[in-house]
Amino acid sequence: MTIALAPPLPVRTRLVVPLVVIAATMVLWEIAVRATRTQGLVPLPSGIGASGLVLTTSGVIFEAMAGSLKRVAIGFAIGAAIGIPMGLAVGTLRPLERSLRPVLDSLRSIAPIAWIPMAILWLGVRGNAALFVVSYAATFPFIVSASQAVRMVDRRLVDAARALGASPWTVLRAVLMPSTLPMLFTGARIALAFAWGSIIAAELAIGIKIAGQGRNVAGIGQLMVETLYVKRDVDALVFYMLAIGVVSLAIDAGLRHLQRRLLPWDRR
Amino acid sequence: MNALVELRHLSKTYTSARTGDAVEALADIDFTVQRGEFLAIVGPSGCGKSTLLSLVAGFSTPTRGEALFEGARITGPGPERGVMFQDYALFPWRTVHGNVVFGPWSRGVAPTTRNERARELIAMVGLTGFEQRYPHELSGGMRQRCALARMLANDPVLWLMDEPLAAVDLQTRIILQDELLRLWGDERSATERPTVMFVTHGIDEAVLLADRVLVLGRRPGRIKAVVEVSLGRPRARLRTSPEVARLVEQLWTLIRDEAAQAIIEETQ
Amino acid sequence: MTRLMRFVEPMIGIVVVVLLWGLVARVAANATLVPSPTVVWQAFVTMLDGDLPRDILASLAHLGVGYGLGVATGLALALAAGSSRWVEAVLDPLAEFLRPISPIAWIPIAILMFGVGRLVPIYLIFYASLFPIFVSTLDGIRHVDRNLVNAALSLGASRRTVLLHVIVPAVLPSIVAGARLSLGVAWMSLVAGEIVGGDSGIGWRILWYQEFFQMDRVMAAILIVGAMGLAADALLRLAQRALRRVNPSLASGA
Repeated sequence: MTIALAPPLPVRTRLVVPLVVIAATMVLWEIAVRATRTQGLVPLPSGIGASGLVLTTSGVIFEAMAGSLKRVAIGFAIGAAIGIPMGLAVGTLRPLERSLRPVLDSLRSIAPIAWIPMAILWLGVRGNAALFVVSYAATFPFIVSASQAVRMVDRRLVDAARALGASPWTVLRAVLMPSTLPMLFTGARIALAFAWGSIIAAELAIGIKIAGQGRNVAGIGQLMVETLYVKRDVDALVFYMLAIGVVSLAIDAGLRHLQRRLLPWDRR
Repeated sequence: MNALVELRHLSKTYTSARTGDAVEALADIDFTVQRGEFLAIVGPSGCGKSTLLSLVAGFSTPTRGEALFEGARITGPGPERGVMFQDYALFPWRTVHGNVVFGPWSRGVAPTTRNERARELIAMVGLTGFEQRYPHELSGGMRQRCALARMLANDPVLWLMDEPLAAVDLQTRIILQDELLRLWGDERSATERPTVMFVTHGIDEAVLLADRVLVLGRRPGRIKAVVEVSLGRPRARLRTSPEVARLVEQLWTLIRDEAAQAIIEETQ
Repeated sequence: MTRLMRFVEPMIGIVVVVLLWGLVARVAANATLVPSPTVVWQAFVTMLDGDLPRDILASLAHLGVGYGLGVATGLALALAAGSSRWVEAVLDPLAEFLRPISPIAWIPIAILMFGVGRLVPIYLIFYASLFPIFVSTLDGIRHVDRNLVNAALSLGASRRTVLLHVIVPAVLPSIVAGARLSLGVAWMSLVAGEIVGGDSGIGWRILWYQEFFQMDRVMAAILIVGAMGLAADALLRLAQRALRRVNPSLASGA
């Protein structure tokens, strides 16, 4: 295992090598597809670029993303509103934790998307079914991280505060809250990642159900299904995938930046 | 020639992983270690003590100059130069016996021979009965003993010890110092005992254990002084003699200012 | 008395939830909208005699193939990256680039490539399980304690000995942790893949029942999905504990 025994490559090399490899791959890929005349069946870099251009300039993709993101935001908020208090309660009261743990573990193991059929039945296809799935997915990371955060508060910090004359209210506000924030933030990042993944899955599932019925495209998942079954545009699909990845990165990077600004003492 | 280790114009510069700057750890070290002597190396934080040991051990190579062992240039680690690390570096997945027997085992010594040797050494360091324990089940002092037995299994002619007693409490340290002297051969003649290069922060420890004390200055590490310790041997009884106190004071004056400086500059 | 309590307490939560569920079902009085616990249970019993075993087996097969291939590939890639700085320089950024793209986003392309069928969930699981184990193993290799390697070298070990007897044991905990993370995402991808693009397995069956408005069976299937997920995680935790009993440092992490 050389990398365990030797220093890493210089930074400049590490930046250049992947760029070179990616560029080379894309060129070869382009040539291969054109040579075998499989454009349209197999995605190719120039096609992806062209689709991308069309979709961004026409605003189609932004509209769809906005729809999805809106539901992610709402679902995230609902998940936090339910998950944090529940997590805090479970983390503080041990008997509550012991009795609720099997229930929570069981519910947590149900992949959120499995609820789609019931969600559609209860809330209709228009968008709330997807919202239900997203909220469900976002709740559990909050419950887990909130309960862990409470349990991992360093008792010595509480003792130090009390020895300095702090009232219980001050201890709560000035010691417990800052202590739990880092872990809650990490839970929030996980919840957001789950929420983003779930909305796409939910929209895909719903989209498949209503494919070809000409309804208004509500989110990027439904847009992808329409492209898959109606337009059969391979390049556009790959572009959507890349766009989804970019949004994932942006969301997480944003939250990580926020975490570092708000919680400078936390070295996560 | 009684020289075991020769350092000629030894210099070491490395690039800091954190800042990317060049750090000159050692500069122009000219020194000879005599066979059978106990050499202590002291100095303020950042003076390159550990780097020096690392060069003699063969874990890194000098930037300029050379390090010779028995007349030959040091190119890599070897069983004739045994090493004890600051945090013991015991293999956590191996038992005490497994650790002690590692050297002979990896060199292909026959099972009966090496197991016998391991048993002998474990008894010598006082760990009989703990052969099947894992490192995480042992106290700090016991881990140190295990690390020592492991080093001794190869019967090295040079012992390289990097602050081996830094991680144990004061009472254990005193006991271990006495044991170390005994195992090394405090009561034998210079020709019958191994050579030791012992890095430590503790000046009192250096004076107590060593024949000579090498004092290094702050970065870049240069030789500030070489102090002879002309107390008789065996040493264990001389712990509180006035001569010891005088030598300690002498050494401390040499490094006091730089040590104070180090406290401020180590804040990162 | 407390021993009894320890056994009873977890039950309380489940009992309360089931009772509440029954109550809501009674109030809603619509077996399609809210199937009651008893109805769901009956559905489950019927399913057991019918398609359920086949569905579960199909899902397990998807999981087994996808997860097995994914973990093997991820491990191999991590070892390759660990042996050569050049390979690492290529693979690491590639992994960082692909990782944010959720496996779910691959579903349409997978359907296009493989058509609706068992390859969609298998491919999805393969793709999803690759990343956690790759990242975790590579991280473990990078963070092997340099001192352990040095100690072995100065004790006279050859490079091969160091590789097999120092680096591998040191990396094992990271591999196990990665395998556990991989199983978690594999499970999610299994259900999503079967629902959206599969033609067999319990995920797909959920939609099937929904087509026929057999909501009691839908509910039963949903709960089964949950149970299977729990079982998978419990199995892995058991494996981890067994490993820890063999050698404590081989399986760190809860």
